[in-house]
Amino acid sequence: MSNRGGVVKTLFKRDFVYTFYSWGFYVVLFAAFMISSFILKNFLDGIREEDILVSAYPLNYPLFISVIVISIYLVMLSGVSISREREHGTLEVLFYGPVTAGNFLISKYFKDLCLGIIALAFCAVYFYLVSLTTNLGFTAGLVRALVMGVFMISCVVCFGLFISSLTGRTRSSVLVLLAILGGFLALQFVHAALIGMEREALSTPMLYLRETVSHLFRGINWVSPFAFLNRGLDAVVLDSPLLFGLNIFYAVVYSVIFLILSIISMSLKGVKA
Amino acid sequence: MIQTENLTKQYNGFTAVKDLNLKVEKGDIYGFLGPNGAGKTTTIMMLLGLVRPSSGKVYLLGEELNPRNVDVKRKIGVVSENQYFYREMTAREYLEFFASIYRVPGVSDRIDELFKAVGLFNHQNKKIGAYSKGMQQKLAFARALLHDPELLILDEPVANLDPTSIKQLRDLIEEENRLGRTIFVSSHLLSEVEKLCKKVGIIHQGRLLAEDDMSTIKRRLSDTVVLTVEVDKEAAPHLEAVRDLPFVQTVETTSNIFTVTLEADRDYRSDLSRALFESGCVILSMKTKEMSLEEAFMTITQQNISLLTAQEDKS
Repeated sequence: MSNRGGVVKTLFKRDFVYTFYSWGFYVVLFAAFMISSFILKNFLDGIREEDILVSAYPLNYPLFISVIVISIYLVMLSGVSISREREHGTLEVLFYGPVTAGNFLISKYFKDLCLGIIALAFCAVYFYLVSLTTNLGFTAGLVRALVMGVFMISCVVCFGLFISSLTGRTRSSVLVLLAILGGFLALQFVHAALIGMEREALSTPMLYLRETVSHLFRGINWVSPFAFLNRGLDAVVLDSPLLFGLNIFYAVVYSVIFLILSIISMSLKGVKA
Repeated sequence: MIQTENLTKQYNGFTAVKDLNLKVEKGDIYGFLGPNGAGKTTTIMMLLGLVRPSSGKVYLLGEELNPRNVDVKRKIGVVSENQYFYREMTAREYLEFFASIYRVPGVSDRIDELFKAVGLFNHQNKKIGAYSKGMQQKLAFARALLHDPELLILDEPVANLDPTSIKQLRDLIEEENRLGRTIFVSSHLLSEVEKLCKKVGIIHQGRLLAEDDMSTIKRRLSDTVVLTVEVDKEAAPHLEAVRDLPFVQTVETTSNIFTVTLEADRDYRSDLSRALFESGCVILSMKTKEMSLEEAFMTITQQNISLLTAQEDKS
């Protein structure tokens, strides 16, 4: 293994072991499964009452919710990973030696991605058990959704790392992340509200606002990692191999771009909080 | 080993380091002396490639500094002013982690050797979070020496340590230097640098005021001696008797105490005692006031200004 590979492996191992053996990871998994179970229960009650199965992929929506919960945890985890080390000064000590911004970020990326994959593996086991007990079927669509989940988690982690590379303190990272994600959500809400209004009912300024919000929304669809998650699940539901492949390609491009931006911003911001 | 050429760092119009030209030779223990805020840590951060200089160049181990050149960084050990650790790790795990980063061969024996050298052998399995400041400083030394570096950069290495630990670490630094390591020590403690270093650079307000052998610097700093003399009566009425002495540069009085600045070309204490006795004062105590670091910097600064003025007059 090259020197750089060795450094990445060492950093990855320390960080991964520390996070994997912390309670946070398991609390999040538990929360994800609780929410999924609640949704599944409502779904099964619906089937029992109406005697009709309304979806070809009944487990996909609960899985989607689980992935969202895991993604929120991972975006927060990656979002504080650099700023926390900056704040505690440990980043500075690492950089006295043969650690560079590149191998530090790659180790963080793989650590969070691996945690995501492990979380998805737990999801696979959970949904397999659910399919056995409910006869809802562990479909190929569910497997595709799990595979897509890995790439979506990659986007989420890279976005979090980018925010963390810009900030000097843990609290700033959390606040910036919340502000950005809240902003995305608010825009989505405003967009949905404006689109829902009849064009004729809108005054000229409101029409102008609707157009502006639409443009912004389209732009944000390529920036927000959660929009990738949404599109990915759509591709699975539509059962389109082309869309599925395209979404994976977009996710890889997104991850690479955000990783490069993170390395640049980390190099420019330096090691001090 | 270390060379800088007109190294300058500016932050939003504030100049932290200005045209710094340092030269540290192989095998030196170089003292980088300056008060807090003089620009020492900024200089070290630039030497390590962690702060980008506004202008100027840095050469480390014969190569121009490139922050991405990790091969040079493998040959440097650093102990910073503040100690930062993964506090959830034990000291041994911590050193094993860094040994893996630096790819140190024979890790276990090397770590044992270092724990013995810094006196932490019996505490190696404790969590770092439970370590005292002194123990953390020793652990930082062990980390810095782990990969057998050619150059050791120490930023305020004995700040906040008890006298026993200071002695222990000073002995360790001297031993490492005997083994051929070049050592760059940054400190605001004149006494510490004096005990350790062969060569000294003095930095003040981002500028290198002097760079020379310790002995030469000491001579420059000892052009004057300050004495505090306590007498049996009010000092002010006897001010003239002291001020008129040819070797007295300045004199101040407070209550029954004279603070007298004398020339240091020879010992004038007996002459001063005689003058005070003839003026009717009985001396209760006479102490030589140690020159504080600030005063030392002022002296050096004044000397530099005089030198520059003289050069300008000549031209």
